[in-house]
Amino acid sequence: MKLAPFAALCAALAFPLTTLAAKENAAPARVQLKPIKFVEYDLPNGLRVILHENHAAPVVATYVLYHVGAKNERPDRTGFAHFFEHLMFEGTANIPRSTIDKLISGAGGNLNASTSFDQTDYYFNVPSNQLKLALWIESDRMLQAVIDEKGVETQRKVVKEEKRMRYDNQPYGSLFEQLAKLVFAGTPYAWVPIGSVQYIDQAKIEEFREFYKTYYIPNNATLAIAGDIDIEKTKKLVEEYFGDIPRGAEIKRPVVELTPLTKPVQQEVKEDKTPLNATLHAWRAVPETHPDAYAMEMLGSVLSSGRSSRLYKRLVEKEQAALNCDAFPFLLEKAGMLGVFATGQQGATLEQLDALISEEVEKVKAEGVTEDEFRKVLNQKEAEFAGGFGTMSTRAKNLARYRVFYGDTNLINTELDRYFAVKREDLQRVAKQYLTKEGVFVLRYPAAQKAPAAAK
Amino acid sequence: MKLSLCALLTVLALPAFAAIDRSKKPEPDPAPAASFPEYRTETLPNGLKIFVIEDDRKPTITLRLVIRSGSAVDGKKTGTASFVAGLLNRGTERRDAATFAVETDSIGVRVEGAASDDAISVSAGGLTKYTDQILDLLADAVLHPTFPADQFTRLQRKTLSSLEAEKQEPDALASKLLGKVIYGAFPYGDYLTPESVKAIQREDLATFHKAHFLPNNASLAVVGDVKAAEILPLIAKAFGDWKRGELAGEKINPIPELKGLTIHLVDRPGSVQSNIIVAATGPARNFPSLPEVNVLNSTLGGGFSGRLFQNLREKHGWTYGSSCAFDFKKLGGSFQATAETRNEVTAPAVQEILKEIARIRDEAAPEAEIALQRQYNVGNYLLSLENSSRTAQRVQDIDLYDLPADFYKTYARRMSETTPAKIQELAKKYLTTENVAVVIVGEAKEIQPGLEKIGKVVVYDQDLKPVAK
Repeated sequence: MKLAPFAALCAALAFPLTTLAAKENAAPARVQLKPIKFVEYDLPNGLRVILHENHAAPVVATYVLYHVGAKNERPDRTGFAHFFEHLMFEGTANIPRSTIDKLISGAGGNLNASTSFDQTDYYFNVPSNQLKLALWIESDRMLQAVIDEKGVETQRKVVKEEKRMRYDNQPYGSLFEQLAKLVFAGTPYAWVPIGSVQYIDQAKIEEFREFYKTYYIPNNATLAIAGDIDIEKTKKLVEEYFGDIPRGAEIKRPVVELTPLTKPVQQEVKEDKTPLNATLHAWRAVPETHPDAYAMEMLGSVLSSGRSSRLYKRLVEKEQAALNCDAFPFLLEKAGMLGVFATGQQGATLEQLDALISEEVEKVKAEGVTEDEFRKVLNQKEAEFAGGFGTMSTRAKNLARYRVFYGDTNLINTELDRYFAVKREDLQRVAKQYLTKEGVFVLRYPAAQKAPAAAK
Repeated sequence: MKLSLCALLTVLALPAFAAIDRSKKPEPDPAPAASFPEYRTETLPNGLKIFVIEDDRKPTITLRLVIRSGSAVDGKKTGTASFVAGLLNRGTERRDAATFAVETDSIGVRVEGAASDDAISVSAGGLTKYTDQILDLLADAVLHPTFPADQFTRLQRKTLSSLEAEKQEPDALASKLLGKVIYGAFPYGDYLTPESVKAIQREDLATFHKAHFLPNNASLAVVGDVKAAEILPLIAKAFGDWKRGELAGEKINPIPELKGLTIHLVDRPGSVQSNIIVAATGPARNFPSLPEVNVLNSTLGGGFSGRLFQNLREKHGWTYGSSCAFDFKKLGGSFQATAETRNEVTAPAVQEILKEIARIRDEAAPEAEIALQRQYNVGNYLLSLENSSRTAQRVQDIDLYDLPADFYKTYARRMSETTPAKIQELAKKYLTTENVAVVIVGEAKEIQPGLEKIGKVVVYDQDLKPVAK
């Protein structure tokens, strides 16, 4: 029911492929991560199944990822994938309207769902004796969700309130929408998952049913189950509940073709609710599975991860021009960008913020990163990986994600190696290659002028 | 064609299993047993309480030190505790701010302080191979901060900018005003203003630190891939020299009583939605009925099955979410029911929230509904035991809020024994529709007329100053 907000989108790490060149490290021994074991297989109907057995707690997480997101939408039907996520809680042929949550809550569990540019996912966390209930619900809504007028009417209203709450009523709330429109213009990444509400109003109920028929099919879905399960018993249950769901027609995947940028683009967004000057610089980068993705992630960390990072030290600490300044690689299935966002302190001008960001970016292009910085970022990544994947819910989610977007489920255990395979020079190289002067998008939010009456 | 082949394969592959009956909800297996995880408690001679939870799932260690004094003891200098917390890692006797930042970042460690009304917590976490450094950095931040002048000035300036930004953030405006109207002059109602930020002086931080950062006013929880027998001596070494001290008693005014229903409306021109909080005074954290009141709360507005969500979202489509919660603090608390609605349904939404509060007081809930909510609370508590850091926080909460030692051992059982009659009794005791503060942030010219029909409306500007009529 939840749409990943801007912050989550930015925080979501991209986990791409890169060359596996051997790398010698003179640093302390790398931490041994405890392997996360799993089995995976396909049902004859195309459903990919991933099972991870772990008895640390009597908990089971089920996670269903449908490979459909905002980029599968038509430009005149944006917001469709997210809207459909809401409809998936309505009911099925066997489950009455508005009872899915009651079933899960009444079993002592919890649930949620989210929609992003590339995927829609549904997750349940239940005590392990309720696994069958979770499978029953997920399989029945894959097989025979009921989409009726009443549910559509209610959710139309709900989604409009969601958009107001997350975006329209918040300072800088339109930022990501504006950014996607600029950077990914002309592609199906040019709109955000919340979309434009009028299209949901215009859509007929048959269109929602068609969307379901097209995308909510076993051969477009991945089911991951992690926790207190018995692998063999669970395999049988999965077969029983999901085995008879018919395979659907092959899906035509959207094409993302960007028109090359020949000169910088700058845009100002004037809104009365903008309290402080803010600016965002963005460059097109690479998709998450591109060989340069890891170097791009590490470059982002050099720029803004921690108080010893370049942008923090310069903009926040030394010049005291910014309240905060974040570099965020935003790498998707078929395109990507690197953004740098700064909110100014009172009195800081947009020109000042823009100049400082440009200077720091040019500096890293000209000089590269130091050995200390490089080592630091690897250590940060190491700590991040060692500290991640703790709960069954995060394990189920990431097992599925690595499978669908990288074709390698085992990356949950090995991805850190790929960061360690990056060379220090790679960071400077990707900075030079992608953060070009002619390829920058600048999106500015000038602070609103105060009405005279409000002045003291 | 594919379809029938598929079905055939399924049958062939599993001859022992008959097709399931999809029309029936499957029966659960026997419920798993779950008990509150084991942990080790030690107290150093200086009074520092230590809790160790061994968890070998990840090669990491997390330490969380809690000082049992927070913003509530700021005294006249509102913001002191949060400035202390924010500057602990910004300069110590052995490391200036830049050095501290480099040393933590270099090993992927974060050492961060945060202040709440009742406590200051300082957390540090990272890989177990850096345990010695992590402990050293944490102890340095907690025991030897110097609150350097340049860092103090920088934080002051940054806070002033943040306050300017918050004037446009509906959530921030609502929560500040809510504290004020619920707690009045009681310290829980204080919030930072440009004036209070400017009034804080560097010396206030050192004074606060000296008075409250005492081992006999603190607890330290350790979670991770460690052995208690190995980590305890290291902690004793890092914190053993910390000198015990006398904690001065603070004189605090009582929390005022809320009388009648008042609507406090912050006018935020241009708002396309109203942030609504229907609030009342609530009990303190260590009141005797917390487990049962959790079931009451979730029946009214916890999760997606609560009445508020079902009514305001699923029935009316007025809001993306609607829920309620008690905010239990050490010396008092509040009840808050929230929704974010479009302008034209703001007044009806307030009325529906009040109606749901009245209904749960006036009518015993059906047993089936309470059964669901019991299971929801018990099951989700069980699920939360997966998270060792959460367990550590609960253990520290027992210490911070003076809870009975067996609080979490009996917690699930007490929730599971709750009855509809008990829920109604607690609703009458802890919920009210008479003595209520309704806080709303929105477009006054559109929503005020409707609200006037519900009760007296006081209008504020975005500086939270009442606007003369």
